[in-house]
Amino acid sequence: MSTNTHTGKGKEYPNIFMPKEAVIVRAEQVTATEKHFTLKMKDGSKIAFEPGQMLEISLMGFGEIPVGFASSPTRQNTFDVVVRSVGRVSKAICALNTGDTMFVRGPLGHGFPLKDFRGHDVLIVAGGIGLCPTRSFIQYILDRRDEFKRFILFFGARSPKEQLFLDDLSQWRGSKDVEYHETVDKSDETWKGNVGVITTLFGKVKIEADTRVVICGPPVMYKFVIAELKKLGIPEENVFVDLERRMKCGIGKCGHCQINDVYVCLHGPVFRYSDIKNLEEAF
Amino acid sequence: MKHYFIQDSHFGGFLSKMTASRNVIAPVAKKNKFVFDKPESPEEIRLDYDVTLLPPKKAIFPPKQDLLSFSPEGARSGIAPEPKILFGVHFYDIKAIDMLDLLFRENNEDWNYLAYREQTTIVGSSIQNVSKRAFWGSVGKDVQPKGHDAFLTKIGGGYLYETLTGKGEDLIQFGNFQAATPAQQAEAEKVNNEILARCPEKLEHTTKAIAEKVRNNFKSPVWEEMAKTCFSCGTCNIVCPTCYCFDVQDNWNLDQASGVRTRSWDGCLMEEFSKVTLGFGASENFREHRGDRFRHRVMRKATYLNEKLGGPACVGCGRCSAGCVPDIADPVAIINKIMEG
Repeated sequence: MSTNTHTGKGKEYPNIFMPKEAVIVRAEQVTATEKHFTLKMKDGSKIAFEPGQMLEISLMGFGEIPVGFASSPTRQNTFDVVVRSVGRVSKAICALNTGDTMFVRGPLGHGFPLKDFRGHDVLIVAGGIGLCPTRSFIQYILDRRDEFKRFILFFGARSPKEQLFLDDLSQWRGSKDVEYHETVDKSDETWKGNVGVITTLFGKVKIEADTRVVICGPPVMYKFVIAELKKLGIPEENVFVDLERRMKCGIGKCGHCQINDVYVCLHGPVFRYSDIKNLEEAF
Repeated sequence: MKHYFIQDSHFGGFLSKMTASRNVIAPVAKKNKFVFDKPESPEEIRLDYDVTLLPPKKAIFPPKQDLLSFSPEGARSGIAPEPKILFGVHFYDIKAIDMLDLLFRENNEDWNYLAYREQTTIVGSSIQNVSKRAFWGSVGKDVQPKGHDAFLTKIGGGYLYETLTGKGEDLIQFGNFQAATPAQQAEAEKVNNEILARCPEKLEHTTKAIAEKVRNNFKSPVWEEMAKTCFSCGTCNIVCPTCYCFDVQDNWNLDQASGVRTRSWDGCLMEEFSKVTLGFGASENFREHRGDRFRHRVMRKATYLNEKLGGPACVGCGRCSAGCVPDIADPVAIINKIMEG
């Protein structure tokens, strides 16, 4: 039995740390370290989230970790997360399979401000597992394609083996709805595409200065991509970054995710670049 | 608001009756220092303490707290506060608790704190002895202590007891209190004002001037320089009455089937605080250098929260100064150095 509140002295107090159970309806090991889960709330409820928001997922006895929603709220009654097996909690979660349950708490934080993107060209620049949280927005755009103008997607992975969402990638490669460009830092015998860091893709397509941009990837990637956007004359107000930090509570209390005085879990993880570019600890 | 007086000869009886029927946490001696704890007898209560090792926030926000428990049947909330009286709190610690009240309430209400706070009656007390590193007389002077239920001041012949809420008024039943005279009230005010000048350490500039200059010195080499001998031990965080960062960990019970999800005090001075594992053996520490972490604490105390709190997130207790082994955590020394630089 899961209970949200505790009756103490006749008074019930809500507990913001109380998670709810979700059932894994699909689990797929997508790379050597990443596992892709599709989840459904056990009690039949739906999580009302926006692309770019996060949730805390957990396994009792192991702990909680923050992840971004990896699917769009426009799709079914399920939601996706991708977990990279790197620590005690993520390893335990990655051992789960279809039919198992995990605990979830969310949605948390602020996602992509959709009204800023509607009616404009959109460029998404995703590096590595940065594709996971941006996939929620990618799917959203594809599902509501008419609301947006051109849609350009750059995806960079360390190597072909580390590419995620292979079904999506092959669909996007042939799609008219998205101008998809990809690269790998290091190729192998199977790879026939671009080789080089993600910024090498900027030379391959014309991007208008009025484009709205999303950047999500490893910490080192941001400043190089931002430099490219500057060359294209894209104003900083139209650039949105999805940041990663260490997080424990996800509700703006525990302090771990602070960038100066900003809590990534509370004010982000999606930020307008012009709002945080002057925070010394942001990039 | 009412003012009462209780004679020294009746004060012991008041403490006896109150501790006999209520759960009281008060300053008691521990070797040659003081701590907030449950007194074994009313005689143990020491209102002449200078400062306690840990701040009284621990009665509301304990060093370790179970957020929830779990078993194969599911998860259960751990919020189960019991009424308690936090007795003998100095004004600077009252200010700190008031700040935590706001911080745990804002944006997302955290009842793992608020419920315990709601069940706590706070009785303040005047400062009779000044600790060696105190600077509460000169920090955040615009921020008044509030949120407490009553306040005791030692005056000639006894104590003035000022009640601010019904919870404070309720304690009157345990002692032989009488209405205070205007002269006794004036004496108490004088006692509490005069003590402010007796701090051994002093900030020389206004809150606003400090906030601006400290913030503008973000890129100064002074942080790395001052942090050279920092052990990254986090003592300055752990003893701070306004620090509220925490870690969350799960632990199994011995049956290996049930357990608890626990939060425990954490500190931004510690090396791992902002470190994330990226996979492939890589990691990123967003405040990698000692100077980064040293600066973050000072920024938090002197600038970042000022707008929200109406003043600095530092109350001048001097616990960090006294607790720091290389003695580099003293906010007065740090701030005065920056102001003079």
